[in-house]
Amino acid sequence: MQAAGPIVVLEDVHKDYPLGRTVVTAVRGVSLTVQRGEFMALAGPSGSGKTTLLNLIGCVDTATSGRVTVDGHDTARLKEKGLTKLRLERLGFIFQSFNLVAVLDVFQNIEFPLLLQKKLGKAERAARVNEIMERVGLSKQAKQRPAELSGGQRQRVAIARALVARPALVLADEPTANLDSETGERIIDLMRELNRAEGTTFVFSTHDPKIMNHADRLVRIADGRVVEGTN
Amino acid sequence: MGTAILMSLRNLRQGGRRTVLLMVALAMVTLLLVVLNALAAGLEATMLRSATTLSSGHVNVGGFFKTTAGQSAPAVAEGARIREIVEREVEGADYIIDRVRGFARIVSENASLWCALYGVDIAEERGLRDVLQITEGTLDEIAKPDTVLIFAGHAKRLEVKVGDVVTLSAPTMGGVSNTVDVRVGAIARDVGWMSAWAMFLPKDTIRRLGQMRPDATGAVQIYLKDPNRAAEVIEALRPKLAAAGFRLMDPDPRAFWMKFETVNGQDWVNQKLDLTTWRDEISMMLWILTGFATIRFFLLGLLMLVIVVGIMNTLYMAIRERTREIGTMRAIGMSRGGVMRLFLLEAGGLGLLASTLGAAVGSALALGLNAARVRIPSEAFQAILMSDTLLLALNPVNVVTAVAVITGVTCLAAIAPAWRAARMRPVGALHQVG
Ligand SMILES: Nc1ncnc2c1ncn2[C@@H]1O[C@H](COP(=O)(O)OP(=O)(O)O)[C@@H](O)[C@H]1O
Ligand SMILES: [Mg+2]
Repeated sequence: MQAAGPIVVLEDVHKDYPLGRTVVTAVRGVSLTVQRGEFMALAGPSGSGKTTLLNLIGCVDTATSGRVTVDGHDTARLKEKGLTKLRLERLGFIFQSFNLVAVLDVFQNIEFPLLLQKKLGKAERAARVNEIMERVGLSKQAKQRPAELSGGQRQRVAIARALVARPALVLADEPTANLDSETGERIIDLMRELNRAEGTTFVFSTHDPKIMNHADRLVRIADGRVVEGTN
Repeated sequence: MGTAILMSLRNLRQGGRRTVLLMVALAMVTLLLVVLNALAAGLEATMLRSATTLSSGHVNVGGFFKTTAGQSAPAVAEGARIREIVEREVEGADYIIDRVRGFARIVSENASLWCALYGVDIAEERGLRDVLQITEGTLDEIAKPDTVLIFAGHAKRLEVKVGDVVTLSAPTMGGVSNTVDVRVGAIARDVGWMSAWAMFLPKDTIRRLGQMRPDATGAVQIYLKDPNRAAEVIEALRPKLAAAGFRLMDPDPRAFWMKFETVNGQDWVNQKLDLTTWRDEISMMLWILTGFATIRFFLLGLLMLVIVVGIMNTLYMAIRERTREIGTMRAIGMSRGGVMRLFLLEAGGLGLLASTLGAAVGSALALGLNAARVRIPSEAFQAILMSDTLLLALNPVNVVTAVAVITGVTCLAAIAPAWRAARMRPVGALHQVG
């Protein structure tokens, strides 16, 4: 399934949100290419359209106009099922508020995408989960529930969950915004390390200058437009 | 699947008081369902027992004899031959008897009433011996000529006691009126209100009253080891009797004494046999069962409706609270079907747990009430329920069915909320404020 070519191609993408009688344009004509293996930051002030852009790339929202190509698929041509499959097989998500399943423990949260994929047997899944737990330094917390973890630990679980199924692209929307700056930097370093070791593409958004400096490539947006960092 | 079940159970526990309340409600409805089912089954069992003691076998081979087209008697000639065929052909019979049937006005010094008469050979009446509770006189008295066994209700209305003489007055086969004096030999406790319609006498006394031939009888009554086979036995028996030269009436699910008008309206003469089940013979009282079933249906339907609303409400709330979680799961690749299954599983788990609990408590209650032999306070209810104590028959199939129905309803109620959850867009999970 390893398609050649860039992992993400945005061509003149627009996104409007209807808001009462008016229309809010969150993204106005973004063209952007992300190469495989990149570690890219999407920087911009609050309201600039970072989340919207990540949603479009992450196939959880559709563009009003323009073309979004992810891993070789024109997402406008995929139906609900196809988009779900693409997300499940090729994408990983890390959220600002971690978004772990509260009733599952660390191990089960990380195992979740593997269960959805239904590809691996129990033993293989356990091996995979244990390996990634080791990588993010959570082996001791396997049986703990999210509520028993610190913010940094929760985000590590989220990172492990995003990576366990070995996606081609991981999208992280302000992954450090709910963490103190030291923990935030460590989280970014961990992502960076995994990016290097696995070759997984990372696109993360942030408005924190310290965090964006950890990126290989910085794309700045403002008012729904790319203002710096296009190829 | 294991994880999905785990999630549902833990989410249910997370639901806290909301889940507990819903579970209690579901358990109560299941309990009610189990107890009412047991009551209905008890009622049916009582009816079966009274009917088969008083007026019917599980299967009856009776018939009508007509001297002219418009004049019928509930009797058949060649009773012995019919009985012989039945004894030879019916499989799975517990025992077989025959009774002479009649219908007469019973006249005492102070009052009179109409009643169905059964001519019996008391020695072979096993059912009567088991069920009748004789309060005055003895059952064996009825072996003597020109005696009668009456019920407490009759004794009260006729103002008679054992040893008193009453006069039976009835039209004969020939169409003229005839009377016979009989002595009250025994008085039995009422068996529900069906006993108001039955008295027992020696066979020859009824034959004499109706001026019937000595080989005449009313019906051969077959008691089966498995009463549920009644219809099947009839199917097998009809061709055998036809082959032996007997004419058969078309099936008519009514008691014999309700058929005179129909039979008199038909233009055949001599005799035809009529095969009925115990249900046919008490068809006029099946309304009690139907009525009970109807009340049960509406009561439980109403409660179920309340439950359905409760479940839907709870699930909608749960879904709203878990919007982000659902969106997250959708974003990381769970299908709509997967989300739907998750919520159905949650509701199903709730239904199964609650209804199992309710069924367990309900079963215990039914068994306890039955063992306690609770007296029914009102005579009207005693009459309708055909017993002076509360009878509950707990049937494992009914209990399992109750659990299945409640769980099923819970799942059905969950469909719409689960569908809404499944339709939620994953984007909800990613959008953060600010
Ligand atoms: N669902 C929505 N409905 C209406 N307006 C929205 C919606 N989501 C985002 N917006 C608007 O789009 C713009 C970009 O938002 P967003 O992509 O969340 O920016 P960022 O993530 O950079 O803060 C903002 O003006 C925001 O108010
Ligand atoms: Mg945002």
